[in-house]
Amino acid sequence: MILGVTIITLSVLVNQITKNTFTKNNPDLDVVVGAKGSPLQLVLSSIHHIDIPTGNISYKNAKKIMKHPAIKFGVPISLGDNFQNYRIVGTDKKFLKLYDAELEIGSMWEKPMQSVIGSNVANFTKLKIDKFFVGSHGLIDTGDIHSEQPYKVVGILKKTGTILDNLIITSLDSVWNLHSNQNDILKKSDSLEVTALLLKYKNKTSVFSFPRLINKNTSMQAASPNLEISKLFKLTGEAHKIINYLSIIIVSLSFAGILFTLLNNINERKYDLAILRTLGFTRERIFSIILIEGMTVSILGSFIGLILGGIVYKCIEFFSLLGRNIVTGQLNFIYEILTIWFVILIISFLTCLIPGIKVYKQNIRNTLLNS
Amino acid sequence: MLICENLSFSIDGHKLLSNIDFKIKKEKDLLITGPSGIGKTTLLSILCGLQIPTEGSIRYNDISLYSLSENKIDEFRGKQLGIVFQSFNLINAFTIKQNLQIANTAEGSKDTDHLYDLLERVGLADKSHIKVSNLSIGEKQRVAVARAFIGQPKWIFCDEPTSSLDDKNTDIITNLIKEESLRHKASLILITHDKRVQSILNFNKILRLGEVL
Repeated sequence: MILGVTIITLSVLVNQITKNTFTKNNPDLDVVVGAKGSPLQLVLSSIHHIDIPTGNISYKNAKKIMKHPAIKFGVPISLGDNFQNYRIVGTDKKFLKLYDAELEIGSMWEKPMQSVIGSNVANFTKLKIDKFFVGSHGLIDTGDIHSEQPYKVVGILKKTGTILDNLIITSLDSVWNLHSNQNDILKKSDSLEVTALLLKYKNKTSVFSFPRLINKNTSMQAASPNLEISKLFKLTGEAHKIINYLSIIIVSLSFAGILFTLLNNINERKYDLAILRTLGFTRERIFSIILIEGMTVSILGSFIGLILGGIVYKCIEFFSLLGRNIVTGQLNFIYEILTIWFVILIISFLTCLIPGIKVYKQNIRNTLLNS
Repeated sequence: MLICENLSFSIDGHKLLSNIDFKIKKEKDLLITGPSGIGKTTLLSILCGLQIPTEGSIRYNDISLYSLSENKIDEFRGKQLGIVFQSFNLINAFTIKQNLQIANTAEGSKDTDHLYDLLERVGLADKSHIKVSNLSIGEKQRVAVARAFIGQPKWIFCDEPTSSLDDKNTDIITNLIKEESLRHKASLILITHDKRVQSILNFNKILRLGEVL
């Protein structure tokens, strides 16, 4: 029972929370344009900030795309560094509007090397306004730092419940400062690059034509975040189904275990139960004793399973790549888990009825004589 | 008053008990005797509400036992009757104290102080923590007797209470039953072949099964 409920709980938690996280992290964007490679990798790296980017694209081309008649607006992002594993995103101020972000304290960046930080970054790194920090090369902390050019924290964002809480936001110039030639930056040279372009269409009719245009005619690729994430869930959904079937089998076996244990128990104790009847215990009272025994095993077993499932999930969250980007405070899944628990308890109750009825129908005189 | 009227019991077409009639007044005692296999234990089961008779009725004062529902019979047995079974019917996995406690619970009482007094009277107070499975037959018999007197039973039924006891223990158990019955002002209905028991207890009435009354 414990194992079965642990697996079910874990499966529900992983499935629901990752789904919710992926949904909440996408600020209703229609398409992402980036360097050619895996479209899923492009979406994961530029919207969900999990994977590494497929490469860079020219800033000049990015600007051209943003001016395309099909595009309502575009937000360029430039990745490459991190601080204590929190990604530093070079972008423009429209990026914050995507998440309806507001400042908790401080102000927006005005100059290169100024930054605003998400609420989780502030909580976990203890960075404060006017504090300086140095970014590390790459998207995970390798210790290879840009010590010559530290960032200054000028603002801390309010909690949004999205990936933004885990990001450090700065201007594109800041990222270019660290990775490009100063002359190129000053001249806004064609050699400047960004990692991806987050785009919103003017209308949905461009859903098919625009990506085809980019994919066929440029050295870039366009990927739909919703399409790529649903493809991902279709793949993981199969594994999820197998895990669910497995847990259903384990829980069913535990029901059978409870049933046979109770039947075996009452068979071994039928003489004792008959004695209780001779002492004045009514059939209903003995029936309820059997029911309470069985339900105690089920309730305790399934409750421990729920707790263990939660603990294992938290461990996975802590150690996994996705874990840091999990949107916390989601309570929707609790209803699903409680429903599953309720169903398990109902089936347990029905299972316990079988030995209960057997005891209820027991002929005490014959039982005492036969023993 | 216990009134047994026209009581008959058949099993597999064989009439084991036929037209049994007797009355026992309050605090009076009845001895049931007869050869083995004549149906003495079956009669006791019927009187205790453990076996439904084929015909006839059992009345305790104004209560007709078998007109009650099965649950009411169980409750009546728990509150009004004390039974010492021939095979003791103790829960072997429980200690002496637990056996008495469960009977006390069945009777509906939460007070357990009197259990210690009962154990004192049967001489088992210092062994209350011992499991029944580890007791001698004489000790088991005493536990069974003590259990029968939990609560305020008005009718005490004993089935061959001394069948496996030596003379000394027979005296102890018989006297114990007599004393406790008197203490509880209960009627005693006892099955035995044992002349030693019959000589200690002066029965007001004797029912000889297998004989024409």
